[in-house]
Amino acid sequence: MNLSLELLAAAGDVKGGEAATFWILAPIAVLGALGMVWARNAVHSALFLVISMLCLGVFYVLQAGPFIGMVQIIVYTGAIMMLFLFVLMLVGRDSSDSLIETLRGQRMVAILLGVGLSLLMGIALYRALGDSDPKGLTEANAAGNVTGLARLIFTKYVYVFEVTSALLITAAVGAMILAHIQKSPEEKISQPERMLKRFLPGNYPAPKPGPGVFSTSDSVATPARLPDGTPSDRSISKILPTRELTSADVAPKGTEK
Amino acid sequence: MNDKLQLPNLDYAALSPMLILFGVACIGVLVEGFVPRRIRHGVQLSLSLLGLVAALVMVIRQGSKDDVVTAQTAVAIDGPGLFLSAAIIVLGIVSLLLIGERSLETGGAFVAQAAVTANTDADRDQAARTTGATEVFPLTMFALAGMLLFCTANDLLVMFVALEVFSLPLYLLCALARRRRLLSQEAALKYFLLGSFASAFFLFGIALIYGYAGQVDFKAIDTAIQNSANDDILLYVGLAMLAIGLLFKAAAVPFHVWTPDVYQGAPTPVTALMAACTKVAAFGGLLRLVYVGFHRTEWELQQVLGTVAVITMLVGAILAVTQTDIKRLLAYSSIANAGYLLLGVLSVSERGLSSSMFYLVAYGFTVLAAFAVVTLVRDADGEATHLSRWAGLGRRSPLYASLFTFILLAFAGLPLTSGFTAKFGIFAAAIDAGQTWLVIAGVVSSAILAFPYLRVVVMMWLSEPGETTPAVSIPGAMTAAALVIGTVATLVLGVAPSVLIEATEHAGIFVSK
Repeated sequence: MNLSLELLAAAGDVKGGEAATFWILAPIAVLGALGMVWARNAVHSALFLVISMLCLGVFYVLQAGPFIGMVQIIVYTGAIMMLFLFVLMLVGRDSSDSLIETLRGQRMVAILLGVGLSLLMGIALYRALGDSDPKGLTEANAAGNVTGLARLIFTKYVYVFEVTSALLITAAVGAMILAHIQKSPEEKISQPERMLKRFLPGNYPAPKPGPGVFSTSDSVATPARLPDGTPSDRSISKILPTRELTSADVAPKGTEK
Repeated sequence: MNDKLQLPNLDYAALSPMLILFGVACIGVLVEGFVPRRIRHGVQLSLSLLGLVAALVMVIRQGSKDDVVTAQTAVAIDGPGLFLSAAIIVLGIVSLLLIGERSLETGGAFVAQAAVTANTDADRDQAARTTGATEVFPLTMFALAGMLLFCTANDLLVMFVALEVFSLPLYLLCALARRRRLLSQEAALKYFLLGSFASAFFLFGIALIYGYAGQVDFKAIDTAIQNSANDDILLYVGLAMLAIGLLFKAAAVPFHVWTPDVYQGAPTPVTALMAACTKVAAFGGLLRLVYVGFHRTEWELQQVLGTVAVITMLVGAILAVTQTDIKRLLAYSSIANAGYLLLGVLSVSERGLSSSMFYLVAYGFTVLAAFAVVTLVRDADGEATHLSRWAGLGRRSPLYASLFTFILLAFAGLPLTSGFTAKFGIFAAAIDAGQTWLVIAGVVSSAILAFPYLRVVVMMWLSEPGETTPAVSIPGAMTAAALVIGTVATLVLGVAPSVLIEATEHAGIFVSK
């Protein structure tokens, strides 16, 4: 580990394996970022973001920052993005954004300005860093990458590191304020009441019928049939489109032989 | 390789104001969990006020000591830092009085349960009956503590953390209005999204400055500007991005678009807190950044910030003329005032620093008094903020109309008010720094800005009260106290400003270590 770090640090120019990895992953990272913005489905967006973040994690490791690279992958890609996906799934994966522009021409202007700003920044940074000589990495990583970071966190930035806990408390309090509804005692429904409600006329107490997958077809979109032969809407998932099934859909698959 | 870690020496006495506020905020969160709801409001309010007073005492005690740079150059407790801290705490006490007021409306200005869907039966029910959320007190304490750290941060990273610490509670507080909740939620979301964007710019700027200087503390950046071999483009692009982050918080054009919507949507006590304390914090941070870290780029800074200042003053003043809502009018007036404050920042002189600090305090008191009056003019649906509703207010309640007239005249900068002294000081500093063209723009925009203020005055006194003119509520003790403190400070700083001017000059300059 240390040897590879020193090798990486010593190499002033980007070449060899580092350059190859960069040029392979950089386009993927950019495509992932673009895909995140362009994807209509929120889940796809999140997955594109995961790709982008994984690539960034590899870049950090390449640049002799193994700790931040691993944190990027474990914390961001692993924990936060997965939480994100959970939330998306809970909210419902079929709720996608409305694409109607409320301000006319806003999207075009935004794209133009965004591209302009990126070009400006890119050119400025290229000119500024084109022939700069990176240094200081060896000293920073002298005692090992993690030790170096720990030194900073527990000396110079110890106060501000503690202060970030205020941020976490604020976030927790904020989540409680914005999401928690306290039910008053009279609003709570007791078990007998719940049971009576369930057996009221007009309500259907038994489990819903499952889809008629195995009786006539392979598709979960096949509604089950009630004893009188009518298809039951309750038997298929709400997010599946209700459609007329063709005979090809209905035909059992993989049994041709 | 294996040398022992030297733990930094934390000067707890110097850090104590922040520590007290953070501690009180944490206790406040516990109070939410363990104290019965009936007495929670009283406990939270007295706890917060006690904490602020204790922090103020510690700031004043520290004032007689030497400048301290503690936690290994991360935090600088120096003269201007202490002055700004004291200003934030005092203005914070006054806005806390507004936040804690519950006699104007059943249950105060805050919603009880923000998660209840707006405009439903449950929501109307809770608006009429339940008492407001008391979590606003710990959130305010967190925000104020973050502002103290922001003004004393000696390092870009510390500054960024402080920026987040004081912004996050403010985003939350904006969403908690009892009336017009959709407007309030929209304001919070807008503020949050744009604020995160501005923070991202700030962070990117830190990265570029680190690339240029190899360090993020102000002293090292200053040294690097003198003798770094790196390309200056990095420095300027980085500085521009840092400026975007800070000017957003300070509400300077073109980063001002959030201001009117957020000022209008947020509960009025929170608007007052933002207009007074956030302004002090944002400009405190900006002053330290420019005066300690980047004063060697003065020549370039003055051109860019000068342009921003001129646009800010003019856009703020011109758009204020077209407003029909009193809270939006005050928002545009606060944008224009950010422009005047920028003159003090870009003077980069001792006089510029002291006059900016005086301006911040004077403006803070006046704006708190203004929003205190706004909370009083109300009818059955809450505050009546549309300007047409204010017509004829002078006949209905001459006392409050005269107070508001006085406040508006102070905003317009008439002599014998703090607005005049403050503007005079800051224009004089700018002329000293050779920025005459900026001062001309400032005077022109002041003249434009006087128009909307005087229009409100004319409306209040010369129109007949209509059927929709609301009565002015009798303020509770706390709003009355806030109103009196704000108005008296505006008068005293106009008639006898020398005490505060001496204090700002005594504060000296930012320490550079």
